[in-house]
Amino acid sequence: MAATEASTAPQLGVPPLTDEDSARSEDRARVHRARGQDKRWQLLWLLVGPGILAMLGENDGPSMIAYASDGAQYGLGFFVPFIPLLFAMAYVCQEMCMRVGAVTHRGYGELVLQRLGRAWGWFGAGDLTLTNLVTLVAEFVAIRVGLAYFQLDAGVAVVLGLALVVFTLSGGRYWRWERIVLGMALFNGLFLLAAILVKPDVGAVARSFDFSPFPGGSFNTLLLLLASTIGATVTPWMIFFQQSASADKGMTPRDVNHGRWDTAAGAVLASIFGVGALIAGAALMSHHGSGIQGFAGAGFPEALKHVAGAAAGDAFAIGLIEAGAVAILTISASTAYAAGECIGVSHSFNSSPRNATLFYAANIGVALVAAAVILIPGAPLLSIALNANVLATVLLPVSLVLMVVLANDRGLMGAWANKRSTNVIGIAVIAFVGLCGAAYGIDSFLQTTHVIGS
Amino acid sequence: MKAPPATVKQRRPDASVAEAERQHQEQLEDELIMHLERDQFVEATSRPVSRAPLGARATRALWALRVFVVLVSVMVIYTFIDQLH
Repeated sequence: MAATEASTAPQLGVPPLTDEDSARSEDRARVHRARGQDKRWQLLWLLVGPGILAMLGENDGPSMIAYASDGAQYGLGFFVPFIPLLFAMAYVCQEMCMRVGAVTHRGYGELVLQRLGRAWGWFGAGDLTLTNLVTLVAEFVAIRVGLAYFQLDAGVAVVLGLALVVFTLSGGRYWRWERIVLGMALFNGLFLLAAILVKPDVGAVARSFDFSPFPGGSFNTLLLLLASTIGATVTPWMIFFQQSASADKGMTPRDVNHGRWDTAAGAVLASIFGVGALIAGAALMSHHGSGIQGFAGAGFPEALKHVAGAAAGDAFAIGLIEAGAVAILTISASTAYAAGECIGVSHSFNSSPRNATLFYAANIGVALVAAAVILIPGAPLLSIALNANVLATVLLPVSLVLMVVLANDRGLMGAWANKRSTNVIGIAVIAFVGLCGAAYGIDSFLQTTHVIGS
Repeated sequence: MKAPPATVKQRRPDASVAEAERQHQEQLEDELIMHLERDQFVEATSRPVSRAPLGARATRALWALRVFVVLVSVMVIYTFIDQLH
């Protein structure tokens, strides 16, 4: 599988060149020119994308609300170092996805389906579709919360979300899609701006890196906090997305180091912006946590406005709109990649809608279904938004285990297979995520069925 | 003397232009192809990879994972639905 670029010779039985190949090849030509002329920054600019998008895409609406809720309920402390730690874990998982995509040129869904059997392939796709649908509903809720701050209603959230999906798909090029979404994702930095505007005690932030104070409350509350915070950082869609996007971008084994920088940059930015949301939320705690109950309306931004001024509220509200919008684009894309890969039809942004009808239909369709849910009067949006991350955490171990299996598959990966140290860290991450998810799932179930008291 | 038919005179440059365009197009395609790895072409990626040979231990572990996830998922979905009420 892992051929070198030099091995490609047009004379040796060249396969037919499709439009998708042509588009990808044009992108690769620029990479080769930059590499040949030793233009390092240009090369980095050309190769970044999937890692930053996966990480900042995961700093989505429900995640930022979860971080801000952690801050508002527990203040600074445990979660300030816990968020960067979780993104370090996410880096380990996402680096594997990028490497497998670059080496095999295939997406996660199709490799699982073909290499490990149809049952696992369809299980993964079903797991992804379920968690993506729930998460997409939560993204529309986040946009709605942000827009409600500016006195705009749910209909505007739906139109904005769907218009963005259609607009970004319109170019028929992966490069165009990626650059538009990257440009939008940079506005995730508004959460850092919100944190600065609440004028936090810098000394208190620095001191909280010793993981104290540990959050109090019941065992179940602690498990819920851990599960939802993990689900806000590592999710099944990121795994599908980064591997498929790396393959769609045309990355090769020679690009793996740049892919690592891309993923690391995404993890660092996402953890800084995530901690920003937490610090902004913590400002509400020091003002008695007032106002956050109005979540379904415009709770957080409105509460921040009263506590730290209109600028902080504006930054948080626009940040929520951005976080929801970027996540809608990346999560819809991951669903479309999975659908195309599992059914075995064209699945690339470099294909035209005529050649990849299912891919484009799935991309728009899943966003459309989620948008329809938030327009249903009386739909339990708050419950859906809060449970989206927990559900993702519970279903995550399967995706992670299959990813580690693929990354260790020497038949696929050759010399690029996982090293022992990567496996040790990867298995530790899976065990931690699996334990937290299972403990919460079992404890909540036993409480719901009144086997144990709350 | 009769002049040769105008159509022949006109066809010659047209044909050479078309040939030059065709060659230019082929050259462009060759250049494009050179930037892709052989297993990166759509034709190559649309061929399925073979099934991985999994040992008995790996198969048992994957089955255990399947049972674990189905059980925990049922519990979480049950709890979620119960909370909706």
